[in-house]
Amino acid sequence: MLAVRDGNLDCMGELFERHHGPLFGYLSKLTGNRTAAEDISQIVFQRMLKYRHTYRDQGSFTAWMYHLARRCASDHFRKTSSSPVAVDPSSLEEHEDTERRADESAASSDDHALLHRALGRLDRDDREVLLLSRLQELSFAEVAGILECSVGAARVRSHRALRTLRDHYFKLQKETSL
Amino acid sequence: MNCETCRERIAELADGKLDPKTAASLRAHMDGCPECARELETLVRTLEALDSVPADAPSHRLRASVMGQIETEKLTLKSEAEWAAALRAGAAPAPARRGPWVPISLVLQLLGACALVVVGFALGERTADQHQLADLRARVDTMGQIVEQSVLQNRTAGDRLETVMTAAEVRKPDERVIDGLINSMAFDPSVNVRLNALNALYTHSGQEVVRAGVAACLPRETNPLVQVSMIDFLVASKAREASPELQKLAGDEHADTDVRESARRAVELL
Repeated sequence: MLAVRDGNLDCMGELFERHHGPLFGYLSKLTGNRTAAEDISQIVFQRMLKYRHTYRDQGSFTAWMYHLARRCASDHFRKTSSSPVAVDPSSLEEHEDTERRADESAASSDDHALLHRALGRLDRDDREVLLLSRLQELSFAEVAGILECSVGAARVRSHRALRTLRDHYFKLQKETSL
Repeated sequence: MNCETCRERIAELADGKLDPKTAASLRAHMDGCPECARELETLVRTLEALDSVPADAPSHRLRASVMGQIETEKLTLKSEAEWAAALRAGAAPAPARRGPWVPISLVLQLLGACALVVVGFALGERTADQHQLADLRARVDTMGQIVEQSVLQNRTAGDRLETVMTAAEVRKPDERVIDGLINSMAFDPSVNVRLNALNALYTHSGQEVVRAGVAACLPRETNPLVQVSMIDFLVASKAREASPELQKLAGDEHADTDVRESARRAVELL
């Protein structure tokens, strides 16, 4: 990123190749919506380009990227909370429904689908800290930097989120096995 | 070790982030405590399920659009370099899209006056007392009304947005461009134009006049989206001098909830 900051934009392509997959995965699980995740990923790289002059060689690039991603995701949630949301059909199974769908038990038998649904039931803050600390393999110090809290608070929040996820996951497992 | 202490640390053990000594102590407790052992097992199974979720892959649309942005930026840099070289050679071509901010000379004077007020605010922030600052803000408000009524309404929002976007592309803008961006952010009736002007100012947040301009405009801004963006800007640029305004906003019952919360967080961060 230092090279990008100094005007070597070819390196931006390399950064994209290296990081867009994990970034998209994070945003996809955070929003539960692939289209939104792609849009936000695009905005993140757009901002990296636009604000490259502000990049400082402090901490890791990954942490900086997720810091940007968090802000872009917040903008997304702020906008979608005040306007109608276009739902990605592929994510419909993650939305709770009081009417049991005919194919629900088949879909729910898939462990991944269950976990997706359990993740979807977490508060956004819990989902965010868990995805960053576990799936993105960031240290708690990096997570704390991204979430702008202390290392201890990041650790506690992550483990609290894990316990909540466990509760939802096993509850869903129990429900679908009935 | 009792169950309560064990439960407090058990998630860290499942996560593999506990030091060996404490981990051994927890395991020793669990040898004789099936409930805690069960707790660990469910957490480990949850983590295994979480880790086994296949990574999502984006469509080709993402790569195409980002690579397109990079290429566009490279072309912009190249054309700027060529333009600079031409300038040095004494044969500078006219830039393609750099029109005047506004067409009337009187308007330019008005905008210049606005910029002076903002500069006055920047310089006064360190030395003036609260009375003087209040006076400066009042002058910003008055000037804003004049500009809104006499100038900006005469141009379409699209034209004004294009002017802002053009200014944002200038890599080393002079004072007039910066002043124009501050004025657009402060007084333009279009939220979109104000937001884009604010975004364009991010790269110049190192300038005191820019930070002071955003801080001075925050109290008169009414759109929550722009307010939150301004607050983000002040935090990102570490504008500690804006703390009193942010504190005021955090306690303003009439302000939007998100804005109050953002202001409250900003005060903590600054």
